[in-house]
Amino acid sequence: MTKQLDLLDIQGNILRAYGRFGYPVARYVFLNVRNTAKGREFVGEITKKVTTSVEWGDGPGKIKQPDRTVNIAFTYQGLKDLGVPISSLVGFSPEFASGMKGRKDILGDDGPSSPEHWDPIWRGNRETREKDVHIFISLNALAGQGLDWLTVAEKNRDDAYAWLLDEINKTEGGVVLLDGHLGDDDANLNYQDVRVVLDNNGVPTPKEHFGYTDGISDPVFEGVPYDERRVKGRGKQMPGGTWAPLATGEFLLGHVDEAKEYPPAPEPILLSRNGTYMIYRKLHENVATFDRYLEEQGSKFPGGKALLAAKFVGRWPDTGVPLVKAPDAASNAKFGAQLLSLNAALNAAQKKGDKESVKSNEQAIDDILSDFTYDDDMSGAKCPFSSHIRRINPRASLEMMNEEGDKPGSFKVSKDAFDTPGALANRRRLLRRGLPYGEVKDRTRDDGNHGIVIMMVNADINRQFEFVQQQWVNYGNDFKAGNDKEIILGNHSMDDNFPSKAVIEADPDSDQPPYILSKIPRLVVTRGGDYFFIPSMTALRMIAQGVIDPT
Amino acid sequence: MSNIAGKAYAMNVITPIRPYTTWVNKFIFWIAVKIPGTLKGLITLSLIHYARWVIIGKDQFPHLDPKQPKEELNYTYMMFFSNFNGSWDQYVDSFTFAIPGGLDLFWKWNIRYSKSVPLTPFHDYIRYNQIETIHYYNAYPLAASNDVKSAKTVKSSLIKFEQDTRNVSGDNFLKLYNALLRGLQHDMGDMYPTPIVSMSAHQVERRQKWHAANLPEGGAGPTGGTAPKEAHGHSAKKGK
Amino acid sequence: MSSNISGNAYALTILSPIKDGFTQDEIAYADIVRDRLQGWNAEHNSPMALVPQTYLCRYFVLDDVYLESLPGGSAIDTLVDWLPFVPDTLRRWAWPKEDHLKSRYLVFSCNFHGGPKADLDGYLRGMWNAIGDRIKEIWGYCHGFDQVDNADKFIDYMKKCQLTATLFFVGSNDDPLEEQLKALYLKQEFAKFAIDNQGLDAATVKTNFQAFVDRVRPSELDGPTWKAGAYRVDELVELKKNKG
Repeated sequence: MTKQLDLLDIQGNILRAYGRFGYPVARYVFLNVRNTAKGREFVGEITKKVTTSVEWGDGPGKIKQPDRTVNIAFTYQGLKDLGVPISSLVGFSPEFASGMKGRKDILGDDGPSSPEHWDPIWRGNRETREKDVHIFISLNALAGQGLDWLTVAEKNRDDAYAWLLDEINKTEGGVVLLDGHLGDDDANLNYQDVRVVLDNNGVPTPKEHFGYTDGISDPVFEGVPYDERRVKGRGKQMPGGTWAPLATGEFLLGHVDEAKEYPPAPEPILLSRNGTYMIYRKLHENVATFDRYLEEQGSKFPGGKALLAAKFVGRWPDTGVPLVKAPDAASNAKFGAQLLSLNAALNAAQKKGDKESVKSNEQAIDDILSDFTYDDDMSGAKCPFSSHIRRINPRASLEMMNEEGDKPGSFKVSKDAFDTPGALANRRRLLRRGLPYGEVKDRTRDDGNHGIVIMMVNADINRQFEFVQQQWVNYGNDFKAGNDKEIILGNHSMDDNFPSKAVIEADPDSDQPPYILSKIPRLVVTRGGDYFFIPSMTALRMIAQGVIDPT
Repeated sequence: MSNIAGKAYAMNVITPIRPYTTWVNKFIFWIAVKIPGTLKGLITLSLIHYARWVIIGKDQFPHLDPKQPKEELNYTYMMFFSNFNGSWDQYVDSFTFAIPGGLDLFWKWNIRYSKSVPLTPFHDYIRYNQIETIHYYNAYPLAASNDVKSAKTVKSSLIKFEQDTRNVSGDNFLKLYNALLRGLQHDMGDMYPTPIVSMSAHQVERRQKWHAANLPEGGAGPTGGTAPKEAHGHSAKKGK
Repeated sequence: MSSNISGNAYALTILSPIKDGFTQDEIAYADIVRDRLQGWNAEHNSPMALVPQTYLCRYFVLDDVYLESLPGGSAIDTLVDWLPFVPDTLRRWAWPKEDHLKSRYLVFSCNFHGGPKADLDGYLRGMWNAIGDRIKEIWGYCHGFDQVDNADKFIDYMKKCQLTATLFFVGSNDDPLEEQLKALYLKQEFAKFAIDNQGLDAATVKTNFQAFVDRVRPSELDGPTWKAGAYRVDELVELKKNKG
């Protein structure tokens, strides 16, 4: 029997990347609880408006798509101050209890990324009780259909925010809004705004500030009705190149995971089931450094600047097409043209309300962008081992070997070496949420207000997020790359004694040399964040009522 | 204690086996050595420098002196020693994800072995039967097993290239040089200190003061988030 | 052939029983051994760095045997799945027995290059010659070690404490340590060379490569190489090996 999740119990931001569902604008708000009773009352009021994962549309069991979404999550000390009993608290994972700041050594948040350089709210967090971040609330706003799409979205957001402020005021100081988010010109704001990046004509794009298309390969797991057709390239790679959804327990507590067990979770089960952990991370993008480095290396890279930009990430910036499918500009252009016509057809179908056509066009687009493996690129000639998408989700490519007699510099699939081809990747997956923030007003400067707020969701922060961050982003041994880091996100060192490098592999059958990127500068800098618990609706109500009791 | 030396982790696990099934275990190990392919998963994982299984019969604990009491045991014991790259979690997890069948085969005859899947009982099984290393020495703390292997490739390739190109110049030289680079494209990873793999590893690293001493101040450490710089910063903070 | 050997690599497993006694400060001998080993961690480098051909090795004290197991994981418990009922006596009979050691053991587990002749004697002799005093410091509280005062006696003693491995897996390689260290040095240096010479013309690369070879001397183990056991990048390279 197909697994069906209890969508009414699961918060909507876990299963939906709202950006993809027509919400281009969001505001993130962080609160400090000063009074437990009032804090609980506040949680109860918010809970009434929290957006669940229930299906949107017409028909039984579905609701109309909301103009704005509301979601809520808590830090460890937030739960503690809301009166969750100690016997429950000890069941949360140690990394959740220590928080992102306490895990900086594991995460490689050093140099310009170290906590003393974070936004004031994150610097103050976990230092004094009054400045602790306890509650996270996200408000995502639906766009309008016409030319005023953005104005409508911003109005939806402002309405939601006004409502939230009202609820905070009602607590009479029991819950306090925290400031300390840096905005334009270092303005001190009491919220973090995020918004899709607009092109020169003000048209929304799916890109972040470096110019890459973001968020394509979000994992697909069992039980999400609206993801069933998206499993290719997003689930787990099975023998024979087929795909299956990942086990639910990789992303939701209280469900069986890929190891056939329930992921470690706090008691009672009503507190943890259908809840999960979220990693909130504000990442500043050094656009000027990025442009300069790309320019400098692109002038030397034999394939040219555009290809090099694609090599950094593993996808072409203009189309999002993976290098594995389009290893050169010509094939990218071909796929680009296909995507253009598919998108046009999709738009037309949406206008006509032709559901079948919408589906088939979406599917065709998805196949181009997401349905691929590294089986034919085991040596990295197309998609480098240190590129962003290969490091974040290596699919089955770590089941690799080079035997005596094989061409030097080549790898092939080490067939049947592992239990399942994706064995080393399937338990390291992350749901990725969030949007870019700020605008790049001057591309020749790094120091503007621009970056992304990324929110990652997983059942085990240590096994999933921290492992990927440490072993695959800031280190390369699993990719036979020693200490070489992932190109975009790696915590590259500027120290001349320990310069960062990455190898852009050549085709072992060609006569080309590999290209070595040297002295890679720090392109992305951490500006703050923390670990949160996103409870189920049931758990929210119980937290609000103060009835959590694992006895 | 010091389970970690640079990029290597020392694991010691001791588990009981019924004396009359000991031969089965030995037979399985014999097979593993004789039949190529049995260890393919292990080799593909490529996380181990050296590992060994030692089976100690219940009467085989070394007896050196009449004053030493004789052991009286019910079981034979299997000791597993491994030198692997990564943290405990990473290693145990990678093994259970990738080669659960292999693990089960090696430990199957150990008394009430928990099986490698699901993970948590297996974690517990290893954790409670594990003995911490007190002193761990590694001849190349900055190198993973992958590095030792690729270094060998680099060395032999360089020697051969030098011989092959003594009398070659111009485009032909460049062609051969490019081929050298291409052949070594997966063997050139940097070897800097390992990222901190656990907070307790951090403590270990912190004690190793020589590791932090004299590193250039300012800028990021060797791998950015690596032991020396971080250890330094951490202790400075604690002192406040 | 002993399974302590895999190619040219040797797996040495030593269990030395520690005397059951204590010092005037009421510290058990086994704990003193442990404390002294802890002390090794605080030294600039391990004494084992001086012992030729040592790849990786470890010391610990085995206090007792352990028997964590899966409750209900025995054959009888599995039978219960199928049988309508199982007598309690049978169920109890299936519980594992509890074992305890009478001595505590110093465990020394070492991986070294033994060469084609699997030269254990040579390795142990090298160990005694290099760090004899440090050996006494650790093994001094073990049964039967009192008489050990030279390399031959040490070799005899260690062989009495030796256990045979059932399976020895070599995941790296079995080259002599000097070869491994030299190779690691070359790997690091060559990566730098490749970066510095990227995109240069043939003649320049050729000239530079010759200079590179003259400097790193790939085939000469006595030339520049990595120091055994070095943690710090700035202490890693040894320009000329001190033969001693």
